[in-house]
This record gives sequence, structure tokens and C-alpha cells, in this order.
Amino acid sequence: MNHTPDPATAENGGDFDPRQAAALLDQATWQARRTFAHPSPQLWVYRAVLVLVIFGGCWLSVRGQDPYSGPTPAIVPVIFSLVAINIAWSVWGITRAGAGVSGPAERKKHVWVAVMLVVFLAGYAVTAPLYHAGASHPVWGLYPASAPMLVIGLAGAAVAAAVRYWIIAGTLLAIAVVAAAAGFGGPVGEWLIMAIGMCAVCLGAAAVTAGQWRRSVMRP
Amino acid sequence: MTADELDPLIHVPTRLRIVATLAALPDGDALSFTRLQDMLRLTPGNLIIQLRKLEEAGYLVSEKTRNGSAQKTMVTLTKQGRTALGAYTQALRKLLGGLDTDAKAAEAGSDIVAF
Repeated sequence: MNHTPDPATAENGGDFDPRQAAALLDQATWQARRTFAHPSPQLWVYRAVLVLVIFGGCWLSVRGQDPYSGPTPAIVPVIFSLVAINIAWSVWGITRAGAGVSGPAERKKHVWVAVMLVVFLAGYAVTAPLYHAGASHPVWGLYPASAPMLVIGLAGAAVAAAVRYWIIAGTLLAIAVVAAAAGFGGPVGEWLIMAIGMCAVCLGAAAVTAGQWRRSVMRP
Repeated sequence: MTADELDPLIHVPTRLRIVATLAALPDGDALSFTRLQDMLRLTPGNLIIQLRKLEEAGYLVSEKTRNGSAQKTMVTLTKQGRTALGAYTQALRKLLGGLDTDAKAAEAGSDIVAF
């Protein structure tokens, strides 16, 4: 099945063997899936590294703090840089996948992206009144680590399920479960649970996406 | 089952690649001619010929839109085209299953001869 025929030779009068046809059908389908799909397994792996570095970095900076005073500001530039790369990669991926494509599913994807953008902003925007109200350090430390991801995970999973994006719905639901479990870890342990849990979820999403891409048309 | 029973409209490398590419899109979505050409690395002339054959069979529809002086052609796989690809894939599986069985029988036979 690894042998791929030379299309030009086969087109110009050569016999098109059924085995060659099966290999070409799989190859063309894989190529098309890779081109049209977003996010890619590589982007999921990057996101796994991103959450591990960000949440893990926060955990390292709060470990041993007594009293708890929150992550060190030194990690903020790292967070912004990694998130900026993630946003740039995502925008590039969405643009590339949707180039030259139009129709109901493509429009649905645009609505999904817009909704998720609002959910993300809303998830983190609720931390502002908390800060303004002068919340104590333990509360302030506990809340931003997992609560926004709990909100984003639950709301995003509901929206993804409504539009039948099952892999994304499952991933976001798993993120919500990790965030809910992390809430029991306390202000310090929560960062570590989020780092490991979210990293595992992103790696799982990468594996499932890669498996879907590579699924053979000929061997269902 | 023989290779002659495979849908002759799809059982051509270029047309198989076209149909498989369009089938990877969700039902009802269209792909621009230029993107399809870019993905398959075909000359415009060759692609037009193959698309016309598939369109005549009702496997796909193409729609031309004009935006100012630029003209854009969008290609969509029809339900009939999806069904035809599904039937072609099934037929190919059956045929290859038969070929594998024949090959195993031949191998077993050759082992006996060799022994």
C-alpha cells in the first residue's frame, strides 16, 4: 500500500492497477484531510508544551511561598510570547485550511471561531472585577489558575457539541474536568495539576487528530 | 469481481484524486478551481477536461462567480458523486480482498511446490 503510482504514466494509457488505485485514493484523502483540517496534531503538541511551560512555570514560582503571593511577574513575558505564537499559528492554520473553500460548513467554522474568541475573553475578563474587589492572595491565586479554563471548557464543549465538532468537544470537556479537579489542589498544587492535566489532554487531542487523518479509506 | 467493474469515470488517476480531494470537504462545501489545481498540481487545461467529464456524469457541479473583472470557479461534489465514490471504494475493497485471497492461495501453492 506504500507504493504510489505515477499519475501521469497511468493516465497516458498505462494500466491502472486496483492496488495502485487504493494507494492513490488513500494518499489523496490524507493530503486533503491535512490541507483542510484545523487544528493540526503539531499545533496540539505545541499547545501541550505551552500549557506545561506556563502552568508549570507558575507552579515553580509559587512553590514554597508562605504566605502565598501568586506567580512571579517574571513569567508574564514568557506567557505572552507563547500565547502570541499559539494565536499566530492558529490564525495561519485557519486561514490556510479555509483558503478557496466556501459553503455551509465553512461558515459554521467562522461562527465557531468567533464564539470561542468571546468565550475565551469572557473567561479571563471575569478576573478583572475580582482583582478590583481586592480579593485575598489565596483566592486570587486559586481563581485564575483553573476557573477561566473551567468556564472556557464547559461553554466551549457545549458549543462544539452543538455544531458536532466532536474531537474539540471532547477535548474541551476534558479540560473542564482537569480544571474542576485542580480546584481541589489548593493555590500551589492547582498550578501543577493544571500543567500536567492540560498537557495530557492536548497530547490526547493530538493523537486522536493524527489517528483520524491517517485512518485509511480502504481499511475502515 | 474484476477491475472492469470499477466505475470507469472514477477509475482514472487524475479523476480519482479530484473526487477524493472534494470528498474530504464537508457535504455541500465548494472548493475554488485555483486551490484544487494547486493541490493536485495539474495544468488548468487538464483539470478543466477532467472536471467536465465528472460534471457531465453529475458527480460534481461547478459555479462561476464574477467579482469585478475577476472570475472565480467553485467546484462541489454532488450527493451522486459522493455515492459513486463510496460505491467505487466498496468495489475496490472487494476486489482487493479477492486479490489478497488469490495471492495467499498462490503463495500456499508455491510453498507446496517448493517443499
